[in-house]
Amino acid sequence: MATDRLLNETFAALADPTRRAILARLATGECTVNELAAPFDISLPAISRHLKVLEQASLIVKTRDGQRRRCRLDPLALDRAADWLQFHRRFWNESLDRLAVHLRHTRKSKEIPHGPYRKARRGKK
Amino acid sequence: MTTERSFSVMARRWIPASAQLLFDAWTQPAELMQWWGPTGVKCTDARIDLRVGGTYLIDNLMPDGRLVRIVGDFEVVEPPRRLSYSWRVEPGEETPERVTVRFEPCDGGTEVVVIHERIASTSTRDRHEQGWQGCLEGLSRYVIAN
Repeated sequence: MATDRLLNETFAALADPTRRAILARLATGECTVNELAAPFDISLPAISRHLKVLEQASLIVKTRDGQRRRCRLDPLALDRAADWLQFHRRFWNESLDRLAVHLRHTRKSKEIPHGPYRKARRGKK
Repeated sequence: MTTERSFSVMARRWIPASAQLLFDAWTQPAELMQWWGPTGVKCTDARIDLRVGGTYLIDNLMPDGRLVRIVGDFEVVEPPRRLSYSWRVEPGEETPERVTVRFEPCDGGTEVVVIHERIASTSTRDRHEQGWQGCLEGLSRYVIAN
């Protein structure tokens, strides 16, 4: 399915810190390729390669303004990626909530007689 | 690995029960059907062939009446500590994703850690535990804390 492939490309494109930095810059407004490249310590061709990946993933749109090449963010693909994350985040969190409740209500959960009872400890990576 | 760099969602919960109990709740259809899915989703059928290479299916009746079937096969089955399986949604996306669940005994209970990865390639058989680790870089804001 085409949308599925696009989502994969979006995630792959987002998996690179330079490309995320480019997107963050574009989130503040449209700019030229040279302006985008300025903060990075890498060559213009390298930036262009990153931009191409972002463009193929439909994360940005390139336009031409005379001699200048400009880029702007295309929020649709980001929205789709965010939707995927949001859906699964909710899916698993609510499932785990229900699992905890389910086990609390089964006799077997008393098998740990002296375990400290805490409601969902917050985990850190 | 380059094609497998993809975003992941992680969820974790400390639950006052043993790893074995949680593992069973996760892998026995009759139990799974009682808790599976977010609020509003009803699990109407579950079939699980719990062995490496074995398949599973989970039917989810969505709040809007749609029936969504999740299918896949097991890649890692290590009771009561670890499970890893592919995840495909029918009807829908054709690329398999992957779910890894770990049950880690701690503080008199068990920490359940779920990692749901979106695998861009079809090589779901590779069992590199590290696979998802690299994906978490830059993803901390998506890591589930609650």
